[in-house]
Amino acid sequence: MIVCSRCSKENQDHYKFCLGCGAELPRQSSQPRSFSAPTPPGGTPSLGRTTDAPPAQVGRAEALASASQLELDPTPAEPVRSKPVAVEDPLPPELAPLSDETSPCPHCGSLVPENFRFCHVCGDDLHAEASGDALADAPEERVSAPAVAEASQPAAARARLVLIQPDGSEGESFPLSGGRSLIGRATGGIFANDAYLSPEHAEFRFEGDQLVVKDMESLNGVYIRIEPEVPIELFDGSIFRVGQEILRFEAPTAPDPAPDGTQHMGSPHRGYLGRIALVIGRQTTGNSYPIPPQGIHLGRERGDVVFPEDGYVSGLHCRVNSEVGHVFLTDVGSSNGTFVRVSNESYVPQGTFVLMGQQLFRAEY
Amino acid sequence: MEQARNYVCTECASAVPSGHKFCGACGAGVPTEAQTLETRFFGALQMPGKARLIVVRGDEAMGEGLSYLLQATEHVAGREADQIPFPSDNWLSPAHANFLYRGEKLVVRDEGSLNGVYIRIRAAVPIQIGDHFMCGQQLFRIDATPKDTSGPEADQTHFYSSPRRPSAFRVTQVLEGGMDGIVCCAHEQSLQIGREDCDINFPDDIHMSPRHARVEMSGESLQLADEHSQNGTYVRIRGERELSHGDYLFLGRNLLRVEVTA
Repeated sequence: MIVCSRCSKENQDHYKFCLGCGAELPRQSSQPRSFSAPTPPGGTPSLGRTTDAPPAQVGRAEALASASQLELDPTPAEPVRSKPVAVEDPLPPELAPLSDETSPCPHCGSLVPENFRFCHVCGDDLHAEASGDALADAPEERVSAPAVAEASQPAAARARLVLIQPDGSEGESFPLSGGRSLIGRATGGIFANDAYLSPEHAEFRFEGDQLVVKDMESLNGVYIRIEPEVPIELFDGSIFRVGQEILRFEAPTAPDPAPDGTQHMGSPHRGYLGRIALVIGRQTTGNSYPIPPQGIHLGRERGDVVFPEDGYVSGLHCRVNSEVGHVFLTDVGSSNGTFVRVSNESYVPQGTFVLMGQQLFRAEY
Repeated sequence: MEQARNYVCTECASAVPSGHKFCGACGAGVPTEAQTLETRFFGALQMPGKARLIVVRGDEAMGEGLSYLLQATEHVAGREADQIPFPSDNWLSPAHANFLYRGEKLVVRDEGSLNGVYIRIRAAVPIQIGDHFMCGQQLFRIDATPKDTSGPEADQTHFYSSPRRPSAFRVTQVLEGGMDGIVCCAHEQSLQIGREDCDINFPDDIHMSPRHARVEMSGESLQLADEHSQNGTYVRIRGERELSHGDYLFLGRNLLRVEVTA
């Protein structure tokens, strides 16, 4: 608590200006608070699930998270020790106290917590140089791993699915011939122990130069990571995934008015474009939110719909909005990506991340 | 000298006690106002046990402050009702609700309307799955937590569901036109509604209080409580409901206050 010296109002520790009179509060006593804690990188201890989900789900979540380490998140990977908050804990994770490790801002000299990207006092980009280094490292990593994989490939393989392991490194790869390649739990090998894969899950084939995946009516589907800032249209029933969350878009529906002309009473309808609903069972959805005409943002901390307990969702992750009467999903530069469930078939461009069962792959060809 | 203590017969000047229709001495008729000593009110509004409905917020056609005296035994309110008409509110059924006396008591009966009759709660009330309630401009429905449909398939493939948390019930916002809006699953046993810092928040609903209402599972039963909100929490009545002085009712967009003279 900081008591303002001008008006005596009590302010929270992280305030820089008095809520009562606007006077600047003494800086040394204001504890910096993070509003941009990084998304946990790959290799983070798995999130505890509060429900009785099968244990196999944990590895899948890690696999998803690992994408960040490869090339997308230039922030140095630091273990984040804050565990997901138990339901009874009133303190959300983003408000958890920061560690004492700080370093001086090169621009203004303020002590900035290690996990800040920007100086909380002057706004200087602290990782402007560091991220350059990280990007320079990334290509090397990508070159070396496929070289190993190629050595083990039969000559006939035209493409391969490279397994991205929970720690972010590349694991085994699965060769795809120029013909049809069926994969699933019955295929064996790297797919055999994945309880979230159907026995016959997906089929890959080539159409000209393009790799195509077909969902073989699998239970959990095939998800493809969408490009940042490239809108993807959503249709009624479209399913997408951010972090560990499966979300469904539902177009607006409404019952007919009564025959006597009486309208259904209710909360003000602000021209909603539809809803997004959390999928928690085959035919079951949990929390749902209508999408107003101006659209909504989703994130772990920022946005209209937040997922404070899902460490695999970025602070600000994606948005759903409307353009020319259609509804679009756009990833806004999340670390772990936004994945869209393939409806029947989809092209798989070179380098695309594909999520099947609890495993994440990259398509290389 | 003193005044005669009874009615005096205009024919024979004999005293006639109250209750007599004819003069006992000469048989002349007694005027009706002299037959009984019943005291009348100056106006009907003073009559005990008779209730009034005051329109606190009405639709455009039926301005605010209008009042209806419930002098008959039944009084139908609705979009096409004669006694208490609200012609421009299309949330009201043609015959929406009936205000009637049962003995000394005034009751309101939902006449099978589409949108129902809502009464402001005075204390925490029991509430059931499927019940509707209102806070500010928002309408809600209590729903049961659906059965878990995320078990494995016959072929032992597990269903991947989003992380779920234990939740005793859920609250669904009902939008005008009938579409479902927000669905919020209770955090374990409880769910709070308001402008800010609640489980369901309506920052732009100017009729809602910052902390407005709470739904809670206690034991096996659900309870709806108003959190000292300015405008109150309203629950939809089932069938009919006894009214007392100071009750507030929502019929469609119309807010009515009940006044009963003691």
